[in-house]
Amino acid sequence: MANTNTTTTTMARSFLQVAATEEVASPLRVVQIEGLVILKIIKHCKEFSPALVTGQLLGLDVGSVLELTNCFPFPIREEDEENEAEGANYQLDMMKCLREVNVDNNTVGWYQSTLLGSFQTVELIETFMNYQENIRRCVCIIYDPSRSNQGVLALKALKLSDSFMELYRSNNFTGEKLREKNLSWVDIFEEIPIKVSNSALISAFMTELEADTPVTQCDYDRLQLSSNPFLERNMEFLIECMDDLSMEQQKFQFYYRSLSRQQSQQQAWLQKRRAENAARKAAGEEPLPEEDPANPIFKPVPEPSRLDSFLITNQMANYCNQINGELVNQKP
Amino acid sequence: MASRFWTSQGGSDSEDDDSDYGDEIENEVSADAGNVGNNMKNKYIDDGNDSDGDDSDGKKRVVRSAKDKRFEEMSATVDQMKNAMKINDWVSLQESFDKINKQLEKVMRVTESEKVPNLYIKTLVMLEDFLSQTLANKDAKKKMSSSNAKALNSMKQKLKKNNKQYEDMIIKCRENLESEEERDEDEDEDEDEETDSEIEEDPTKIEFKDSEDEDDDDDDKFGDSQDDDDGQWEKKMSKKDKLMDKQFKNPSEITWDTVNKKFKEVVAARGRKGTGRFEQVEQLTFLTKVAKTPAQKLEILFSVVSAQFDVNPGLNGYMPINVWKKCVQNMLVILDILVQYPNIVVDDMVEPDENETQKGPEYNGTIRVWGNLVAFVEKIDTEFFKSLQCIDPHTREYVERLRDEPMFSVLAQNVQDYLERVGNLKAAAKVALKRVELIYYKPQEVYDAMRKLAEQTGDGDNGEAGEEPKVIEESRGPSAFVVTPELVPRKATFPTNSRTHMDFLVSLIYKFGDERTKARSMLCDIYHHALLDEFSTSRDLLLMSHLQESIQHMDISTQILFNRAMAQLGLCAFRVGLITEGHGCLSELYSGGRVKELLAQGVSQSRYHEKTPEQERIERRRQMPYHMHINLELLEAVHLICAMLLEVPNMAANIHDAKRKVISKTFRRLLEVSERQTFTGPPENVRDHIMAASRALSKGDFEKAFDVIKSLDAWKLLRNRENVLAMLKAKIKEEALRTYLFTYSSSYDSLSLDQLTKLFDLSDAQTHSIVSKMMINEELHASWDQPTQCIVFHDVEHTRLQALAFQFTEKLSVLADSNERAIEARLGGGSLDLPQRRRENQDYAAGTAAPGGRWQENLSFTQGRQGGGTGRTGYGGGGRPFPLSQAAGGGYSRDRTGQSRGGGYQGTRYQGAAYGGSGRSAYQSGSAVRGSQIDTSTRLVSLHRGIHA
Repeated sequence: MANTNTTTTTMARSFLQVAATEEVASPLRVVQIEGLVILKIIKHCKEFSPALVTGQLLGLDVGSVLELTNCFPFPIREEDEENEAEGANYQLDMMKCLREVNVDNNTVGWYQSTLLGSFQTVELIETFMNYQENIRRCVCIIYDPSRSNQGVLALKALKLSDSFMELYRSNNFTGEKLREKNLSWVDIFEEIPIKVSNSALISAFMTELEADTPVTQCDYDRLQLSSNPFLERNMEFLIECMDDLSMEQQKFQFYYRSLSRQQSQQQAWLQKRRAENAARKAAGEEPLPEEDPANPIFKPVPEPSRLDSFLITNQMANYCNQINGELVNQKP
Repeated sequence: MASRFWTSQGGSDSEDDDSDYGDEIENEVSADAGNVGNNMKNKYIDDGNDSDGDDSDGKKRVVRSAKDKRFEEMSATVDQMKNAMKINDWVSLQESFDKINKQLEKVMRVTESEKVPNLYIKTLVMLEDFLSQTLANKDAKKKMSSSNAKALNSMKQKLKKNNKQYEDMIIKCRENLESEEERDEDEDEDEDEETDSEIEEDPTKIEFKDSEDEDDDDDDKFGDSQDDDDGQWEKKMSKKDKLMDKQFKNPSEITWDTVNKKFKEVVAARGRKGTGRFEQVEQLTFLTKVAKTPAQKLEILFSVVSAQFDVNPGLNGYMPINVWKKCVQNMLVILDILVQYPNIVVDDMVEPDENETQKGPEYNGTIRVWGNLVAFVEKIDTEFFKSLQCIDPHTREYVERLRDEPMFSVLAQNVQDYLERVGNLKAAAKVALKRVELIYYKPQEVYDAMRKLAEQTGDGDNGEAGEEPKVIEESRGPSAFVVTPELVPRKATFPTNSRTHMDFLVSLIYKFGDERTKARSMLCDIYHHALLDEFSTSRDLLLMSHLQESIQHMDISTQILFNRAMAQLGLCAFRVGLITEGHGCLSELYSGGRVKELLAQGVSQSRYHEKTPEQERIERRRQMPYHMHINLELLEAVHLICAMLLEVPNMAANIHDAKRKVISKTFRRLLEVSERQTFTGPPENVRDHIMAASRALSKGDFEKAFDVIKSLDAWKLLRNRENVLAMLKAKIKEEALRTYLFTYSSSYDSLSLDQLTKLFDLSDAQTHSIVSKMMINEELHASWDQPTQCIVFHDVEHTRLQALAFQFTEKLSVLADSNERAIEARLGGGSLDLPQRRRENQDYAAGTAAPGGRWQENLSFTQGRQGGGTGRTGYGGGGRPFPLSQAAGGGYSRDRTGQSRGGGYQGTRYQGAAYGGSGRSAYQSGSAVRGSQIDTSTRLVSLHRGIHA
């Protein structure tokens, strides 16, 4: 009951704020999540772990703060087109119901669970772009139940960086473009700090619950020492990534090889054409153009997209961080 | 019509040949029509003959209506022609002639017979007569309109060309018209009469065609008579001789010129339509007898031999065996002449003077005769090979054919001797190669058998070969003018030892042969050495010749020979107990699953792409004759056993990442397949046996493994079977011990030597050496406890995490490497053609580790040092030139240091380990350090595990 109260109050406040700040569109600085939403997400993700699940985030966009006030899970998707349509229907129905009971029904993003932080995929980016089309400020909450087992609250709020989105829309991930934009693999995702907010009533209740002595307050989860399986998994994922990266690298090698071959061909052709032109000049004829777009050797070789390698690098950085974090954790 | 025949000739020669024969036989029958043939076909033809163009009205035939229609059309055309003749209209006559030719084709198709209808022949005769009349009438010719004259001329040529095909039939038709009443006489008389009538007819013919000159006519006449007995040559040999005799009635009248002229005639007829191949050979053989000078005889003999090669022109069939034998005899006679008259030189470079062969035996200068002995020898060899390919190897015929081999070796030997004497050593080398190819695949026993056979049949053959031609010569016609005594030995002489024989021939080839000859003989040499269990010699030969690199550029038959040599080398390595080498030789053969194809011992069909018939035919032509086959079952067994002995311990040693070090992919795949089976029945084929043995071996059960392998059938093909099996048993024991230690060492804390010796039925020393070797190679983390004769195992199995870390670093280094190269290419430093790791000599370089292994080694070693607290962070200590790699290495080493905690602690560990392993070599102590370091971490981890559990 307390929950509904708070929502209504925040809503009233936020409407005002929205009206005031609509034009400015200040950058998103904080994601403010209701404690209940977090609990709901954790519950959902943990129950289905290790299967990966997703859900909808509802809330309000208030200036530089994105408030997440509610959420609901999506049914587990099966690999079927029909089900996909069903999922969409479910989503709409759910929204309708929520509106009827007067809960926030403004979509602001989605949450999803992940396994050891392996979330940086092209699909995620695609979904993000889809959301972004409809919602100006959209966020993705990622929760990692397996990491949370290690004693940390592995919750992350992510969004794509603006420059990346721009690039993605033009779908042009050539080296040149990336350099132009000064975009490196670090700049794909932006992590937004999360702030947990509770109603005053809940906070008060929590203080009630809090144990008196600091001894019992300590974090037992951190005492779990069997980090090996975790490290192993991370290592395995790293190795997988390594393979992928090697593949990407091979693609580039191939690209460069064909590029250099083409260049030499072009050179040869040009030389021939020049000699021909010289001969024609001597004969008093019009010289032929030095470019021949119809010739297949002038067709540019498509440069492989760097997106994949960027994502892989990102992913690897993530794993490395996890491993490092684990080791730091473990240090006596 | 003409076009039909010529095109069909392009398609298949044998068919054409058949039709030829058909024609001739029918001619014969139609010639003596009273004398009805026995079979139905003849009857029918006969009938058609009697009713003379009215065609077979009385006959009931299925295709009758169509046939009748065609015949009606034809006769209509003939009527048109008759009309045109009446008004002397050559233009329309020409059109009609074309039409009738087309109709003829149809008729032939409808009647499905080879026989040309009489109506057509009659028309031809009619046309011919009319043509000659018109030509004779010069006034009329002048009066003709220009288009008409043109048509007349073209008609003249067409008719001449066309009629040539039906010459004999036309003659017979004329005969029919003239001498119908004389038909009822019996056959012999008929024949005589036939020739007579021919001669009788000649004047009339000449009357008609004054424009043709005498010589041409004479030629025609000869051609006629020749064609005439063409079909009958088998029955009427005597008649043919008679005819020949007619040409050379009086021996005294025969001059070099007449023989030469005749010879040219016969040779010119070669390959022409209507020239029987067999009787051309006969005629030429006859001419050899009347040749005036030895040189001429030689020239004619060369033609005889090439005519004999022509007997079977198809690419797929082979030369009839009797012709082949005669051919060999002719070759020997050629050699006789060459030996008798050393001033005659055989040459194929210069076109000799026309009358060179006129020079008699008393002429002292060199006489050049065109010919190529080597080519003939090679051709004869090819024919022999082909016949063995074609004959079913399970028949008696095949064995009989094999017995002819000494005959060829005699010839080859003689030709080689002659060429050596003449000084043409290059050619001699080629012939020597042919001899080498006859013996290289024969083990000593077979060689002995062949030698004995050659000596026995040599006597028999000698008599036969000597007698036969003489008898024939005497019986037929006059004896030869140029008598050639048999100077060349007709008996093969072989050294008793096949090796010495090979050595002798091969050294000649190495000295004088060209590239291909040398390469082939080298391969034969390798094969033969391998056959005699001289592995090191043949391996050295192979490596020194560098054939492995250049073999890709050689022709396919040489490549097949190379494959055969490799297979034999592999077998040899196995027999002498060199398992790794054996596997190296054989694995490539088996990697593609196309062994049969590679060794040309059968056509393998692949499911995925169909071969065109053309490809299939080519492949079939490459096949090895059966007696040269390498037993595939034995080969497969040997290959799989080698793979098993190497792979099973290897798999046991690398359980963690089984995919990394694969020795034999083929074996792994097979093992996977067999493991996937729900039930494993008793082994049936070679593969099953080896798989069953592998399963036993992987558990360390050497006895079962050996028993299964021993039960293979293929072993009876080995010469020293007992020794090989004993060797195999020892090897299996050894590998079983290794596998056992790999698999179960973690279950033991210590293991006594006695126990192991008992378990694997090995001597103490052997066991000790095997185990020690494993320790030194760091395959087994253990040490000897000398006083108690025990192996003390160190629990140093890598944890999964460690294994993964190793794997990861390996991948990292690969990535860094290729990054480096990419940047190099980008900066334009080097070419992008990355140097492929060459696999050459991999088979023999026993100690070379796979690239992955090297990394591993390198890595572990530096790790050891680091752990030892030497303070070096030298992972990148390989001294790589590019800064990038250094950075990567540095980064890595930082990581490592981050992971290893506390130098002092490590230091004490190190001392402890050093203490424990005192008395070892430095290298070993290093490894011990590494071991101990890992040891600590494992213990730590297992402790954790314990808590967690």
